[in-house]
Amino acid sequence: MSDFRAGRLAAMRAKIAAIETSGRADSGVLPFGDPQIDACLPGGGLPLGRWHEITGPGMEVETAAAPAAFTALLAAPLALRGEAVWVLRRDDLNAPGLMGLGFPPERLIQVCARDEAEALSVMEEALATVGVSAVIGEVEAVDLTAGRRLQLACEKRQATGFLIRRRPFGGQARREAGGSAAATRWSVASAPSEPPAGEFGLGAPRFEAALERCRGGRTGKWLFEAKGAYDLEQRDGTHPLRLVAELGDRQLAPAQSLHRTAA
Amino acid sequence: MRQLFGVSAEAARLGLYVGQKATDALALVPELVTAEAEPDADAQALTALVDWCVRFSPAVAADAPDGLFLDVTGVSHLWGGEPEMLCDFRSRLAKSGLPFRCAIADTPGAAWALVRFGEDGTIAPPGGQGPLLAPLPPAALRLETETWAQIERLGLRRVGQIMDLPRAPFGRRFGQAALTRLDQALGREKEALSFRRPPTPWFARLAFAEPISAPEDMARVTADVAAKLCARLEAESHGARRFELCFHRLDGKALPLGIGLSLPGRDPVRIAKLFAPKLETVDPGFGIEVVTIAAHAVEATSGRQVRLDAGSDAALEDGLAPLVDRLTNRLGPERVWRSVPVESHVPELSVGRARPLAPPPQAEPWSRETPRPTRLFRRPEPVEGVIALTPDDPPTQFRWRGQVHRVRRAEGPERIGEEWWKGEIGDARVGHVRDYYRVEDVEGGRFWLFRAGLYEADATPKWWLHGLFG
Repeated sequence: MSDFRAGRLAAMRAKIAAIETSGRADSGVLPFGDPQIDACLPGGGLPLGRWHEITGPGMEVETAAAPAAFTALLAAPLALRGEAVWVLRRDDLNAPGLMGLGFPPERLIQVCARDEAEALSVMEEALATVGVSAVIGEVEAVDLTAGRRLQLACEKRQATGFLIRRRPFGGQARREAGGSAAATRWSVASAPSEPPAGEFGLGAPRFEAALERCRGGRTGKWLFEAKGAYDLEQRDGTHPLRLVAELGDRQLAPAQSLHRTAA
Repeated sequence: MRQLFGVSAEAARLGLYVGQKATDALALVPELVTAEAEPDADAQALTALVDWCVRFSPAVAADAPDGLFLDVTGVSHLWGGEPEMLCDFRSRLAKSGLPFRCAIADTPGAAWALVRFGEDGTIAPPGGQGPLLAPLPPAALRLETETWAQIERLGLRRVGQIMDLPRAPFGRRFGQAALTRLDQALGREKEALSFRRPPTPWFARLAFAEPISAPEDMARVTADVAAKLCARLEAESHGARRFELCFHRLDGKALPLGIGLSLPGRDPVRIAKLFAPKLETVDPGFGIEVVTIAAHAVEATSGRQVRLDAGSDAALEDGLAPLVDRLTNRLGPERVWRSVPVESHVPELSVGRARPLAPPPQAEPWSRETPRPTRLFRRPEPVEGVIALTPDDPPTQFRWRGQVHRVRRAEGPERIGEEWWKGEIGDARVGHVRDYYRVEDVEGGRFWLFRAGLYEADATPKWWLHGLFG
């Protein structure tokens, strides 16, 4: 590829990015610290000032345990910069558990909303507040309008939203709304842990996370490990999620498809 | 036995009196009209009247069964003086059709005496209740019936005569209580009244020439009355955590609304905004004539410099505190919280809920080393089909919500006993323990299971799922 062509491509990419972000200030990214995954994400990390959708398979739709743990790990570096708000519908979130994962519970305000619409409005309000860096909400479904409103709220103060898809009280699934304003969508399930050789019990929690949708980036599937979980040692400022390099399972190899999602 | 509970003036003229047997009264006056006494309804009506009186002064105390005290210290100037205030009070109360008597004096005791035994509408000049009380009978001193009857039997028919007596022998003869009552009436001793609302000097009121009822008017007067109070708070560098707004309707009903702040505040715009969603619950009826606002939990807050440095404090005051206030007032205080450690080893008791902006508690933080689930069920869910080696091995298989999980890795047991020192010692049992296991199934799901009770050879142990690690 000639330099000229590369230059043209870069210029066009920048133009498209400017259209996509509709001229708003770039609020930065949160890199995972591993080129395998950062290369898939636009800007080299999890985009901040946007909102992200996290779902889980099977029973996780009701319990949302693995998505909650994964979200707490994603949001932990943000919670160190400001306050975090977790909007619940069913108040079964256990703060000591979050603390074990490395999420600071003293920076977390929990809100229990009475219904879906209230949960979304509380999220919006929290996202637009000075001093709040991350807002996590547990919502069953979000349509295009609600998603767009969340996005506008995120842009007000460059706070980052995480939306965990959860049907907290079971029941019939609502019809899936087509399209979404989310920056990324992850599908997260627990994965078997591997304790260090010669040790009993469980190893650090592992998650199989598929990046199903990513604006301006590529999709992929990875195996993460929460390396600092249930450990007294203070982390050294790196991302609490580590990409597990050795994959026993072929299926989990990072998807190399160059398919770009239409944003 | 049926007795007369109260008599009208006309009945009293016919010789009927309180406490008389109903049959005797009917024999004396066959055409007597009686109604059942309803002490509970009377008490409720008195409470309603007390609430109505808040429009005159924030400090109103009910004096069961049939009286009430209004502390008008420092409020009468709003009417232009005590006589004008009493006049307004009388004209408004007369509209309700209630028979009443009123008096103003320095002390509750003197006012009580003047109302019941003096001339209706007496206003005792400051420090001048002595001469006014002197001609009244001893019963005016709020004494026990036996005490004043005995005083009268000794020929002391006037309070003035008692005032002239040497104190020590009088006290010995009739008890300390009688002396206290005398001193309270004359202002030589303080008397505490239990006011319906805690008295607060932080009080503002707005009265309207014409009653209002439109929602936008109510919103405007809310802002106005809040601004009036907040200007005073501002001037004295104070802020309050709770505000109580009260709409007084034409028909005498008082409709209170309350809001709370997480940090002491005095921004009228913010306060009016918090009240705004609650205004629609107020039914103005035929109109609202007075609105009052009182501030509670008032603290000194230093005025802060705005926007000189955008530090974290500024963020707290500008962003987080209003957010928490809005959510707390909209959803209720029990729905917005911060989890704080409580020193207990029982998992469900180790998490307390604190107000989001309260200072952190002194309790030891949770241990990071002992794994606790991300989701902790409020009630543990039963699991069935548990295959586990007795006595202590973790399960190798269990069924939860109809799904079989084969355990691949497990940790445990972690034995957690009950907090026997908190209950009756007789109720404590050695068997009240839970053995917790952290297990992982072949798919990777991590669960927190426990076996209830100690192992017993002949009983099948009961297993429960208490949480999910995810």
